[in-house]
Amino acid sequence: MIDLIRRRLLTALPTLAAVVVLSFVLMRVAPGGPFDGERPLDPQTRAALMAAYGLDRPLPEQVGRYVWRLLHGDFGPSLVYRDFSVTDLIARGLPISLTLGGLALLLALLLGLVTGMAAAARPGTRTDRGLMLGATLLTALPSFVVGPLLALAFGLWAGWLPVSGWGDGYPPHMILPVIALALPATGAIAKLARAGLAEVLAQDHVRMARARGLSRSRILIVHALRPALVPVASYLGPAAAGLLTGAVVIETVFALPGLGRYFVQGALNRDYPLVLGVVTLYAALIILFNLLADLAYGWLDPRARR
Amino acid sequence: MTLLVADSLDIRIGDQRIVEGASFAIEAGRSLALVGASGSGKSQTCLAPFGLSPAIVQGSFRLDGEELVGAREARLRHVRGCDVGFVFQQPLTALTPHLTIGAQLREAWTQAGAPRPSRAEMAAALERVGLHDPRERLDQYPHRLSGGQRQRALIAMAIAHRPKLLVADEPTTALDAMLRAEIMALLGRLCDEEGMALLLVSHDLAAVADNADAVAVMHAGRIVETGPTRAVLGDPKSDYARALIAASPRLDAPPPALGPIGAPLVEARQVSVSFARPGWRRGRLLAVDAVDIDVAEGEAVAIVGGSGSGKSTLARAIARLGPIDAGEVRWRGEPLPPRKAMRPRDRAGLQPVFQDPVASLDPLWKVRDIVAEPLRRLRPDLDRMAVAARVEAVLAEVGLDPTLADRRPAALSGGQAQRVAIARALGPGPAMLLLDEATSALDVLVAGTILDLLAELQKQHGLAILMITHDLAVARRLCHRIVVMDAGRIVEEGPAERLIAAPAHPITAKLVAASR
Repeated sequence: MIDLIRRRLLTALPTLAAVVVLSFVLMRVAPGGPFDGERPLDPQTRAALMAAYGLDRPLPEQVGRYVWRLLHGDFGPSLVYRDFSVTDLIARGLPISLTLGGLALLLALLLGLVTGMAAAARPGTRTDRGLMLGATLLTALPSFVVGPLLALAFGLWAGWLPVSGWGDGYPPHMILPVIALALPATGAIAKLARAGLAEVLAQDHVRMARARGLSRSRILIVHALRPALVPVASYLGPAAAGLLTGAVVIETVFALPGLGRYFVQGALNRDYPLVLGVVTLYAALIILFNLLADLAYGWLDPRARR
Repeated sequence: MTLLVADSLDIRIGDQRIVEGASFAIEAGRSLALVGASGSGKSQTCLAPFGLSPAIVQGSFRLDGEELVGAREARLRHVRGCDVGFVFQQPLTALTPHLTIGAQLREAWTQAGAPRPSRAEMAAALERVGLHDPRERLDQYPHRLSGGQRQRALIAMAIAHRPKLLVADEPTTALDAMLRAEIMALLGRLCDEEGMALLLVSHDLAAVADNADAVAVMHAGRIVETGPTRAVLGDPKSDYARALIAASPRLDAPPPALGPIGAPLVEARQVSVSFARPGWRRGRLLAVDAVDIDVAEGEAVAIVGGSGSGKSTLARAIARLGPIDAGEVRWRGEPLPPRKAMRPRDRAGLQPVFQDPVASLDPLWKVRDIVAEPLRRLRPDLDRMAVAARVEAVLAEVGLDPTLADRRPAALSGGQAQRVAIARALGPGPAMLLLDEATSALDVLVAGTILDLLAELQKQHGLAILMITHDLAVARRLCHRIVVMDAGRIVEEGPAERLIAAPAHPITAKLVAASR
């Protein structure tokens, strides 16, 4: 297991480096720049600004300087939010995004697994087909459709929940965004858990457990669930990534000051260091989640341990 | 006292009648073997009344006076959990992969309400079924154990709650010949010690001879003969029982007539094969260790050994179907090229037939195309018409009805599928067949007819045969010479009759004893 972690960290470094360099180049190739506002700056000010941020140097040198600073944990200054460094902005946005994504992941797992198990326990019945139809609908509806619908229904018409802002982490503010973010993943997890369980429940060791006179729930939970979760675990890595990128949309819909908002604003403003900082962070998180998913395999199925 | 009584038991799945009017009884502490070919309904007879199959059961099935036909699922679950223990055919998949042996044994121990066992008690239970290092086993996951070890662990679990009846459904079919005898003996001993009744299901009449008090022979859903084992085996009354007894290969049957032997065909020298050790251990495992083996034209040679002895690996290395680390293989005096450099005519000369007939046929292809495929690849000299004619010819030769040529493998029985695999191997006109446990997945009766077919083909075409088997009796039926392997080395070889009559090596003696 330690060997797996070490190997993953070794491959993570070149991956991250490639992400940083590619994003850097892509940002620069995109038309426009950080100082192209509606009122053009006069050439002297512009040149002075470019020089101050080192944007006048050759591209390879800029990449080198950026990576060097990154290695020292410095994401650089924001070009648009002049008084803040990128590190400051991330420090503000990240806790909100992680709370949102983490809660959504937990909710999706909880709802998805319960739904999947309920469907798999009664295969072919109306319950099964109804639940799976619901799961398909949830997967098909993107969060930018579900989000506004939820906001309309529970915020504007019913008036039960706030629909905008973070409210300094006051829980009711989180409910709608977390649900909107979780629902598509819930559908996918429910379908994967249902399929995984259906496969495991047909296996010999389940028949053996039935022959021992164990109760249905004990067979489902003790003997069948863990191997059935392998497909769910392999989905969780990409799902965590999807929740992060989905958060970009949800944070915009619900006007939450999370990382996603800075990301979108940064991209529109050509705020190179901000975008790069967020991209690097996302990439690192996605690598981390995939590693966690791989570690989960070992727990789910001892045969996968190396 | 009578423990189990089945009276006019009918079992249906959908509209299909699986079992009709089966009646039998087992006294407490005694044993009954249900014997029959696959599809005879013997497994359903012992599973369906306990609620372990979706089949519909009618008639009467009373355990300890309690009627199980029509009982509610909760009641059946209680009966399974408290009064009955089950052992199934596939030890490799019957254990829950993510729970340790100890955790599963503890669950089995307490399923009937017994207090939690101590580690020492559990270790003793594992030791009793013949597992070495029982304390270590308690913390191991099932995949660390071999098939035989897993079956022992499963037996320990099946009797941990002290059932009155042990139901064993083909408990040794997936194991090699040496293990079969040991596991059978273990079941018999445990039943004696515990005073448990045993309901044994098997397709092999000979295998149950020493371990069952009574036998019920099943055929097409009906019990055709029943009685004390000695009586049924010694003087079978029904034709079916007679056929079943005649079909099981026995070491004391008269020696078969074999074809003549010609010039050397295959000469393998110093063949070694190694694999990376599985799991976390470093280093390589020497599966075949500098083995020499010869096969002449028209000669049938059997490589016999337990599972893991390296017999399949050796044969695959010689046929260039598997890896080879060192050594030379000569074919009619010339070196056989390495795997990647095999030419069509090299491949055409040596054709394999594998153990699982259905798994070795492409499920989406028709029989006709399956048999034609190697011809197209290996015999470029044949045109379309010639290929079609050759397919017809080999299908007729293996005794398959021409109408089967348009079926797909799923619509074939096991014996028919193995005939297709043999026809496919015969197509290119090989000088040698490689038979890798070609009959061990088949029922006794079917295996007998396949062995007869192979013997016939061998004599007719002067085919050389390299046969891999764990069963000496099967080897003797077809082979001139037997090579016994253990731990990657040849421990003894010689003419079949001499080797069986006077085994020199302990492994050979053990194999002979297992086939008696």
